[in-house]
Amino acid sequence: MTALIDARTLPTGTVLQTDLAIIGGGPAGIALALSLAGSKLNVVLLESGGMNFDPAIQKMYSGAETGVRYAPLDAGRLRQLGGGTNHWGGWCRPMDAIDFEARDWVPHSGWPISRKTLEPYFPRAQALVEAGPWIYDQKGDADNAAEGSVLPLSGGGLYTSWFQFSKMRGDILPTQFGNRYQDDLKRAPNIKPLLHANVTAIRLGANTKQVEQLDAATLTGKHFTVKPRFVVLACGGIENVRLLLASNDVMKNGIGNQNDLVGRFFADNPIPRDVATVVNFAGPLAPFYGANQNLPDGTIMRATFAPTAQFCRSARVGGSLSTIEQPAELDETGKTAVITTALALGVEASNAKAYSLGCGIELMPDPERRVTLSGEKDALGLPRLKLNMRIADEDFTRFNRTMTELGRQLLASKAGMLRINCHTREDWMTRMDWGHHHLGTTRMSADPKQGVVDADLLVHGMGNLYIAGSGTFPSYSASNPTLNLVALTLRLGDHLKKVMA
Amino acid sequence: MKRRTVIAGVAAAGTAVAAGLYRFTDLFVKRYPPTPYDDLLVQLVDRRQAARLGTHVAGAPDAAHLAAQLRAALKPGSLGVTAEAEVAAGRTMEVDGWVLPQTIAQLSALASKV
Repeated sequence: MTALIDARTLPTGTVLQTDLAIIGGGPAGIALALSLAGSKLNVVLLESGGMNFDPAIQKMYSGAETGVRYAPLDAGRLRQLGGGTNHWGGWCRPMDAIDFEARDWVPHSGWPISRKTLEPYFPRAQALVEAGPWIYDQKGDADNAAEGSVLPLSGGGLYTSWFQFSKMRGDILPTQFGNRYQDDLKRAPNIKPLLHANVTAIRLGANTKQVEQLDAATLTGKHFTVKPRFVVLACGGIENVRLLLASNDVMKNGIGNQNDLVGRFFADNPIPRDVATVVNFAGPLAPFYGANQNLPDGTIMRATFAPTAQFCRSARVGGSLSTIEQPAELDETGKTAVITTALALGVEASNAKAYSLGCGIELMPDPERRVTLSGEKDALGLPRLKLNMRIADEDFTRFNRTMTELGRQLLASKAGMLRINCHTREDWMTRMDWGHHHLGTTRMSADPKQGVVDADLLVHGMGNLYIAGSGTFPSYSASNPTLNLVALTLRLGDHLKKVMA
Repeated sequence: MKRRTVIAGVAAAGTAVAAGLYRFTDLFVKRYPPTPYDDLLVQLVDRRQAARLGTHVAGAPDAAHLAAQLRAALKPGSLGVTAEAEVAAGRTMEVDGWVLPQTIAQLSALASKV
């Protein structure tokens, strides 16, 4: 078993020759390295952080923001082996087929691949995130039937869908890729994992189509070089932008940015709380709606309300996943609404229970929601980033159409009722939280004028530079990205085995 | 006093109390002052609750117009069926955020105006 190498121990001036350099040791970087373990390819995995959180390293993430209030750029990301999986909640759900489609009501939508392309990679991705057997919507209702029945929402626009949760073997936490897979990385003779190794520049050859070397440095002042045949940038949807834009000695607008797309279309999944109140006439909802449930085999599941593809098309809404949060108290108007409606429908509602509903929303792609370089520099001299965050009123009104439909379905099935709690921008913003899913900044498209990478995640115009991670998602889905980005990365691993053979 | 007399007296007193409760309280049947819209409002099981809800119906027309709309849409004794049909057809309204069948919202608004 080899060790994780501390780059601070490398002599300055070291040159590492390798087949593949993976920049970033988060879920994408580690999944890719593991997919190539045991292959004939020599792989160097460069992680800026160490095994643990270090404020000095984390500070390299800090940057400026304009626009809508958003999490600071040094929050929501972690600069250590395992990246964001060191603090993720473990929520997993595969993206739906419609998420990949060009939807005429979603500007700039349409992936160059379909969900079918990713499906062969879901089982391996599911195993890596340790979310148990593949149950989700195929068997979620049946496998949770012992705990209660799903709400009858027959024939409508939303249905009960299912999350599964990552759980690290031998632990109660979701799988932290660094901790969980460090031994696998050490065991692989063809993988050289370097910690405290910050890539400071991607150097192109004179033809501008090939990466020739990576400049790397440690915070202790060591400098070294990696000379790879191929490079995969896997630093996350925000940091990838910084390296591409800052590596501008040959291409003045930055690498892959010939069409001014790098850093544009940034997105996250807003997860505002208490956006609606759901009343169940019959009393308490089945427990899987409001809390994670442990199945006998250890799988953890939770129910959510998802729109059908048909409803998304007819109502022209985006993806959303709405989840029961906690019991709620009705005010006097709420009580009169429930009494009046239940009496009119002839429904017994004396035991009715109310709950607050939270959600995760798919934002519409917006080129002006954008990450750019700022004038500030970090400890290694790299320009810091500036985020212009935006969220459109239309994103809210689309979601409320989905809530109206859920309310209609509850009435139609005589199961309950729904109150929409957010009507103004202020209503939304006071309840706003974010998923810290950094999406879209190096979007995938077959057309170089519409995307930074192609369907194989190769940067347009480049011969040996790829990008992994959710930054390549051209539209965003409401599903949490980790399972999906790992599947996409495993596909990249198979592609690299072919092209690098 | 004979046992039969005592029983008759208790029964008479009980009848009187029940009659009083019926006449002067809502204990058995909700009683409301007469209105020109009772043919509609009679369909509400609890008019007082509906009236409270109805105060939150935004942009409702005056009672006469509401009644005209409702008489066109609502047959006697059909509130439940009409509401179900409206929900099936997607004819819902928001009242203070609550997604309601249109007729229930309108009938509640009418109740609040009389």
